[in-house]
Amino acid sequence: MNQEESHSATAAEGVQTPKKTSILNFEFRGDGMEYFKIWIVNILLTIVTLGIYSAWAKVRNNRYFYSNLYLDDANFRYLADPITILKGRIIAILAFIAYYVATIFAPVIAVIIAIALLFAIPYFINQSVAFTNRMSAYKNIQFRFKGAYGEAFMVIYIWPLLGILTLGILYPLAILKANEYFVRNSSYGTTKFDFKATYKDYGMIFLTMIGIALVVGVPVGLVAYFLPAFAMISPLLLFVMYFGLFVYFMVSMTNVFYTSLSLVEHKFDAKLTRTGQTKVILINLFFTLITLGLYLPAAKVRMTKYICSCITMHAQGSLETFTAAEKENISALGEEFGQVFDFA
Amino acid sequence: MLIDGIYLDGKTSKRHNARLEVVNDHKLTRIHLTEQQQSLSFEFNQCNIESRLGNTPREIAFTDAQLFITNNNDDIDTFSQWQNNENKKSFLYHLENNIPLISVFTIAAILLLYSTIVYGIPSAAKVIDHNAPSFTSDKLFSSLDILDETVFEPSELSTKKQQRIRKLVAPYLANHHDLQPKLEFRSGMQANALALPNGVIVFTDDFVELAQSDNQLLAVLFHELGHLKHKHMTQRLLQDAMITLLVVFITGDVETFDLITGLPTLILDMAHSRGFELEADNYALQQLNQHNIPLQSFVLIMQNLGSYYHEKNDEKSNKLADFISTHPTTEQRIKMAEKFNQQP
Repeated sequence: MNQEESHSATAAEGVQTPKKTSILNFEFRGDGMEYFKIWIVNILLTIVTLGIYSAWAKVRNNRYFYSNLYLDDANFRYLADPITILKGRIIAILAFIAYYVATIFAPVIAVIIAIALLFAIPYFINQSVAFTNRMSAYKNIQFRFKGAYGEAFMVIYIWPLLGILTLGILYPLAILKANEYFVRNSSYGTTKFDFKATYKDYGMIFLTMIGIALVVGVPVGLVAYFLPAFAMISPLLLFVMYFGLFVYFMVSMTNVFYTSLSLVEHKFDAKLTRTGQTKVILINLFFTLITLGLYLPAAKVRMTKYICSCITMHAQGSLETFTAAEKENISALGEEFGQVFDFA
Repeated sequence: MLIDGIYLDGKTSKRHNARLEVVNDHKLTRIHLTEQQQSLSFEFNQCNIESRLGNTPREIAFTDAQLFITNNNDDIDTFSQWQNNENKKSFLYHLENNIPLISVFTIAAILLLYSTIVYGIPSAAKVIDHNAPSFTSDKLFSSLDILDETVFEPSELSTKKQQRIRKLVAPYLANHHDLQPKLEFRSGMQANALALPNGVIVFTDDFVELAQSDNQLLAVLFHELGHLKHKHMTQRLLQDAMITLLVVFITGDVETFDLITGLPTLILDMAHSRGFELEADNYALQQLNQHNIPLQSFVLIMQNLGSYYHEKNDEKSNKLADFISTHPTTEQRIKMAEKFNQQP
């Protein structure tokens, strides 16, 4: 933590002139129909190449979403090479098959592998985030991530475990610690990100959710119990409440995350609203269902558009003084392991 | 031809207005920095022109991470044609913008995906399985031990009764010695009979009690032998693995599809399973016929099992259960037996 503070101090001293605060909007310029075409070509080529094209498909998908994301009239970029991803994917798939075979033929070895994997997961997650960050660029400066195994182990296992053991009292802290870990170890070029949230920020979200669940759930349950005629619609009411809580959680988490985020003297803000988010989810759900999933790419575009439109950056002066970090090589293996074993 | 755009030097995030041109008989790229009144030259064949993707800005990367960005996609396409190896780069873009082709692709993708899952994977599993060396199934599931620890209790049938049934089935098991079948008795799991891939067939006590005659026991024995003969259990394991892999491969990013893909896999799995049951029924009927045992015994035991489970569950849940059941309905199976009876 000291490191980052001293870093931001030197950066602030570097420029004496008072800086003008400007509010910059994130903006997603993708288009549902356009992405649908890319998506369907990806799927077909992936099928006819028996999955080999999936690495290229991933790059094309990501490029579409990064390149259409604008801030200060400049777009982000996704830089990964499909060949790197393909190699990682092949190794990961082979490992997965080996594991699957082991679970069938030699359960003991499978258990050993599973335990080894448990300890390898923090390492893979570090690698995965490092790869994703390094492959992301804005204004020709790449992002970076440098995490330590021990800290990753803490935020992935120990903190959530403490959260559960304390019956959820420490769970908000677990989320806070995880965000802190991933943000503070990330940097834009040579400039580190910072994350300043309090236990209260996250605790309030959980408290509100518990409150809503009690205030709505208990009466609905009681009425259903005493008035059997009402029992028919009570599951529906509970489902609506569940959906409402889900939206509340998603919106509040995103908002807290961005308001706590900063890059030296530049701050971020997010103002997602529950009505806005609900509208997007319902429209997406409706069209995805009636098109049997063909609307999925457009749904992804709509969601991204909405979220981006709610996020702003409060920049102090110019964004043109950031410098690039040294070149480094990280394999895509970590990330692909994450996807295949589904823990990323 | 001059193309307007932005130049970044690869060291900082500073953007320079610039114009790009290709000179000297397409051998040299020159970038004119408008504000600095300065120009940079690069070998044309060493610059890397990004493939075109939707409406996203086009990037041209030079040595040392220097970058030129422009929205003028059409002119860059002209440029890239001058490079020797650039024909394939716009191929995808043209594919993605050919509306009739996209429509055909959409339908093809749906059909391909459907047939892969419904026909391709099951037959692949069959081929792999029937060609796998036989020791595989020996090791695959010595799982009776696992079942003994979890759901089964030792049989409470009298030793005399067990002996009698063993003697009854002995000649038929000997008939199938290539499958190395073995009969075991256990209690637990209600009235049930199952075949494990290593050839162990288990009759539960409730089932033995339910059967009203030796012929009924034999009918079910043949059914289980049918499962063994067609290697259904191993096929199913293989199918599950392949569907999982297919889903990961095609969708690439798992998170968007989690909800959508989880469901069909489950339903398809159940559909396959019904097919297996019918195949095993068919085998049982053949065997009964071959050994001159009345087919009626098959119908009777199915009816017995049907009413046994019917009593256990109430009417309403039964209807739903039929719909999503892993087994065909009793009526279906009886109908099938009658049909078989009419065959010459």
